[in-house]
Amino acid sequence: MTAQALTMPPENDPADTSNARSETGTADAPLSFNHVSMQFPDGTEALDNVSLALKPGEFVSIVGPSGCGKSTLLKIASGLVKHTAGTVDVDRNHLGYTFQDATLLPWRKVMPNVELLMELRGFPAAERRRIAKEQIDLVGLTGFENHYPKRLSGGMKMRASLARSLALNPSVFMFDEPFGALDEITRERLNDELIALFMRQGFTGLFITHSIPEAVYLSNRVVVMSRRPGRILDVFDVPFDYPRTPELRYAPEFSELCGDLSVSLRAAIEN
Amino acid sequence: MTTAPVAKPRTYRAVPLPPPANMLQRFFTTIMPPILLGILLVLLYWWTRAQLEPHRQFLMPDAWSLWTNAFALPEVRAELVDRALVTITIAVVGMCISIPIGIVLGIIMFRFHVMERAFFPYLVALQSIPILAIIPLIQSALGFGFMPKVLIVALFTFFAIPTTLLLGLKSVDRGVIDLFKLQGAGWPVILRKAGFPSAAPALFAGLRISAGLAVIGAIVSEIFFLAGRGGLGQMLINAKIDFKYEQMYAALIASSALSISVYLFFAWLGNKLFSEWHESGAAPT
Repeated sequence: MTAQALTMPPENDPADTSNARSETGTADAPLSFNHVSMQFPDGTEALDNVSLALKPGEFVSIVGPSGCGKSTLLKIASGLVKHTAGTVDVDRNHLGYTFQDATLLPWRKVMPNVELLMELRGFPAAERRRIAKEQIDLVGLTGFENHYPKRLSGGMKMRASLARSLALNPSVFMFDEPFGALDEITRERLNDELIALFMRQGFTGLFITHSIPEAVYLSNRVVVMSRRPGRILDVFDVPFDYPRTPELRYAPEFSELCGDLSVSLRAAIEN
Repeated sequence: MTTAPVAKPRTYRAVPLPPPANMLQRFFTTIMPPILLGILLVLLYWWTRAQLEPHRQFLMPDAWSLWTNAFALPEVRAELVDRALVTITIAVVGMCISIPIGIVLGIIMFRFHVMERAFFPYLVALQSIPILAIIPLIQSALGFGFMPKVLIVALFTFFAIPTTLLLGLKSVDRGVIDLFKLQGAGWPVILRKAGFPSAAPALFAGLRISAGLAVIGAIVSEIFFLAGRGGLGQMLINAKIDFKYEQMYAALIASSALSISVYLFFAWLGNKLFSEWHESGAAPT
């Protein structure tokens, strides 16, 4: 982290064409929502005309009031939920997805848990084991391969869950508040580990969170969504270079950006 | 103006940790209570017996006559073993019918919500019919052989199996199902790799209930079916007719032992299968 990077004003960021792009979606965007709306069968609107395009290798976070449809957006991208208007462009064969809970299978040890998705995709056993071992090492769970999930801490369960998704080497990785249930210290540590994984693997990230500092710390861009029906209210560019270091959390520029986001988020909750 | 009362602190002294419990203390807190209650029950039995008029004391044989007139006699011991085998066979064959049918029905009800709506009221109805009340009907329809008894056991044990399996399958973590769906897994794969393992502890709770009921059902059916070479239930009735109450007690003890061992078998099997990972299981050491 250099001093210039910390003080670089947002308007100098070459990535600052995002707003123009997100209105239309682009051909090279690995994931784009184009005027996506979604209604529940009972008529309630969950999402209202959401357009957002992720650039390759970009990390975008979404913050918004509870129940604003942030998670629904991820479910639409993955196909778990169907949108009722607009289009989504995504390669669902190379999509990673982690949930709020680690959703490990309690009757499987860590190793076969990490192998699960590959198993469902029909990878040969030897390859599964090799890749799982690699990913377990990568998330720092070496030595815990033969533990059942009930013997792991919350942070370790989440690491195993990340390893499970990483094993498929996703090109787009979506995170639905994965660290929300963890304590602050574990969460900050996992944020750093996630950035390291992001830089190493080069996936495109879409991250849902309630925490403004977490969103800023991880992302190139932070999107603020309104109350239900969810709309995009604001997009903030984050000018800091990767890799980001823990000291960034205490930099004045970081606090200032968090402050601006906080104002925007309060407005989102109130109007 | 503030309204909070003025605090009057008093001192709370620290409580030092008690020394760890030694063997003797553990013996008194874990093994002694059931032993003491057992002794109490024996005393109660002895006292009740003492209250009976002497010509009615045959109703509650003492330990010595139970030994000399029943357990010490080789022919009684042989009869107990033979008849216990008959009873357990009826119970096991009955469960061999009710378990697979129950599991299949549980899966069908889980897979097709319509089927759950269709079947569930009748399952509850089946559970509510006093099965004893339809035994005469079963006798009239199917006679006095082996199969009608098996059918009674199957009826006794059926209810707990589809209901506990369905409950278990329905409580599979939504997120886990989503996880499978995201990889394009079809429902047979989801059922095999997520549904069954997840529902197995609930199903085993149902199996333990059914196992106890199976032995009870077998004995009850034998009490109704006195023709042929019967099991422990028939021995109970024969002992009454022959006025051999020590043998009746012997048959009672044997039936209880049978029922408890079937229960313990399923408890042991369940524990062996799930204790390592399930929350209800003992923590591995």
